[in-house]
Amino acid sequence: MKILLTGLNHKTAPVELRERLAIPSEALPETTRTLLAEPGVHEALILSTCNRVELLVSHESTEPELRRFLESHFSVEDGTLASHLYHHHDMEAVRHLFRVASSLDSMVVGEPQILGQVKSAYAVSRSVGAIKSPLDKLLQQAFSAAKRVRSETEIGSSSVSIASVAVDLAKRIFGSLQGKSVLLVGAGKMSELAARHLLQNGAKSILVANRTFDRAVRLAQQFKGQAIRYDDLHARAGEADILITSTGAPQPIFRVADAQQFLHRRRNRPMFFIDIAVPRDVEPAVNRLEGVFLYDIDDLQSVAVSNLVDRSREAERAEAIIAEEAERYRKRVRSIDAAPAIVGLQASAEEMRQAELRRARARLQSLTPEQQAAVETLTRGLMNKFLHLPLLALKEAASEGDVVTLEAIRNAFHLGPESELESQITVQEAQTHVCEADCDCPDQQVIESSPLSETASAHANEAVVAGVNKGRS
Amino acid sequence: MFLLWLRVAAVFYGLASLLAIPAILGHRPQWKKICMPIAVGAWFFHLISYVEELALAHRWMPEGIHEVQSTLALLVVGIFLLIWVRYRTISFGLFALPLAFLLTLVPAIGMDRYTFSSPMIRSGWIFIHVTSLLAAYATLIFSMLASLLYLVQERRLKNKRSPGFLEWLPPLDTMDQIARTMLVLGFHCMTIGLATGSLIAQESYGAAYFTDPKIFLSFIMWGLYVVLLLVRRSTGLRGRRAVYLSSAVFIIMLSVWAANLFSSVHRFGLP
Repeated sequence: MKILLTGLNHKTAPVELRERLAIPSEALPETTRTLLAEPGVHEALILSTCNRVELLVSHESTEPELRRFLESHFSVEDGTLASHLYHHHDMEAVRHLFRVASSLDSMVVGEPQILGQVKSAYAVSRSVGAIKSPLDKLLQQAFSAAKRVRSETEIGSSSVSIASVAVDLAKRIFGSLQGKSVLLVGAGKMSELAARHLLQNGAKSILVANRTFDRAVRLAQQFKGQAIRYDDLHARAGEADILITSTGAPQPIFRVADAQQFLHRRRNRPMFFIDIAVPRDVEPAVNRLEGVFLYDIDDLQSVAVSNLVDRSREAERAEAIIAEEAERYRKRVRSIDAAPAIVGLQASAEEMRQAELRRARARLQSLTPEQQAAVETLTRGLMNKFLHLPLLALKEAASEGDVVTLEAIRNAFHLGPESELESQITVQEAQTHVCEADCDCPDQQVIESSPLSETASAHANEAVVAGVNKGRS
Repeated sequence: MFLLWLRVAAVFYGLASLLAIPAILGHRPQWKKICMPIAVGAWFFHLISYVEELALAHRWMPEGIHEVQSTLALLVVGIFLLIWVRYRTISFGLFALPLAFLLTLVPAIGMDRYTFSSPMIRSGWIFIHVTSLLAAYATLIFSMLASLLYLVQERRLKNKRSPGFLEWLPPLDTMDQIARTMLVLGFHCMTIGLATGSLIAQESYGAAYFTDPKIFLSFIMWGLYVVLLLVRRSTGLRGRRAVYLSSAVFIIMLSVWAANLFSSVHRFGLP
């Protein structure tokens, strides 16, 4: 089973193209079903966010035409997507998926939403039956990689946007923002965004002041706050714990004396001034007052940039984790690849045993049924004992990716090329046999669902379990 | 057996102190998950050792300097754990855990050779007196620490630079709350301690007892405490000035501890 990931993101495609390909969440199940119906597609997952559209599929030997699927499904002119799409195969796709889930491929590295989006896409694919064993394992590993990145690095711990830096600083001053009041002076996109962030983080109430009172009222309604007249600004400003100013005033509207008065009225409870205006609305000397913290747009920007640098540093550590997790996944997949050889070896040995028993049947006819059963047990025991070490060597070579040893064992036992063996066994069976050989897989139900012929399956399982156990004894 | 528990507690305190460094300074949550259970375990073993020791000796109060140290460590870590539960910050562990380790290290090595000679040590009043005052010392240590850390965090926020090694500092408001709560708690403990001590002294020794340097300094400390609380309450004092006042009370507290050497009527640690 092969893996293919095709998609485009904010680095490879402009927003005009991304929005044409964006899939609304309600249409995602249907689109996933359509993708699953494409020739050659065995499993499918679609990740559609504002910054990326990616199709992840597992397929047999023939590679599905995912570009054609995208062009036809989204009615995009032929060839438009070619220069914007990327295609990752197998381990490359695995690494890419791990990076995406861990937010290393995001526009803002370390943002936390992407993992939730990948999980939602996974849930949708599962709900429409588009995820089976191989992709399921891959995605579980991707979630575990993302979790490790979150817990072992500080990639998402610092804020990198002006609004979130403001919230972060407010939390450093006030701890929780629960019950804190915000005063918004003037209007501007950035100040409104900062106010919205503060309210989302628990700030209790918002006061809005503007030279145009009607504008203040409209803004206050938007935030479910209270509008105050500009003339009352200095009288009411002391009520606010956090002041966000973004007026077009040519002179500062809050001076040191004003801030001192506010502090006096507040009995020295701290105040946080966020001055987003240029020219500035708050006299810089206000920051020297004890209990007052003033950040202007440059200060906020520099904190954001410094946090971004920190994130890049953490991203390097995260990349190392991704490499480790991808390697772990590769080993798991390789160990599954050894399963056809294991089953082939068992089947070949069993065939030899049966042939020898058939040949000796005439001589064994004089034996009682008990004695015949003893011969049966003896031959099977011998076979298992003989197979034990080669089976272990096969498994070890597969997990280490030691192709030379794998080939040597195959040749020694005349197991034929891998493709022939693979055709005799499904991946699920392969896992079953590998797990059985390991004797540490608790999922016995897998054996029951094996589509191998009952006799062959029973023989193979029995042989491996008995062989490994007896070999150990 | 209690000595064994105390040794286990001391080892755990030492271990938790080491783990606190990456957990707090390195901001590594996985280290915190190891550090805090060990700290709780250390405190638990310490408590077992303490109760067992007092139960075996059929007395209520710590006897001798080692036991007093051990009691102080128990109170310090107890308060640290309360702060952790209430304010969800382990930053104070950076100081509280090594302090507890140092305070329990000597008592854990061996038995105290020097003990109080007074027969009153079996009295419940003395227990209240000693425990309240030790609790007052412990809370004052935290109040002082919180005020100092408040100052550092305030400087950091005002300078608008974010040195990575100070990321662990709790928010200003949290530290202010801790400093204030500890101050009020310490005041109550000290008032109870001094009131019970005065009553016992008046009954047993008379007014001369109050001219002793240690006793005298204790009352000065209490007076400063009152001033500190009144000023904080009336002006909402925070920041630098609050730290100056807390530091003054802390220095007096250290003087009271040191004054033990000069005290003639109220001393321990002598053969």
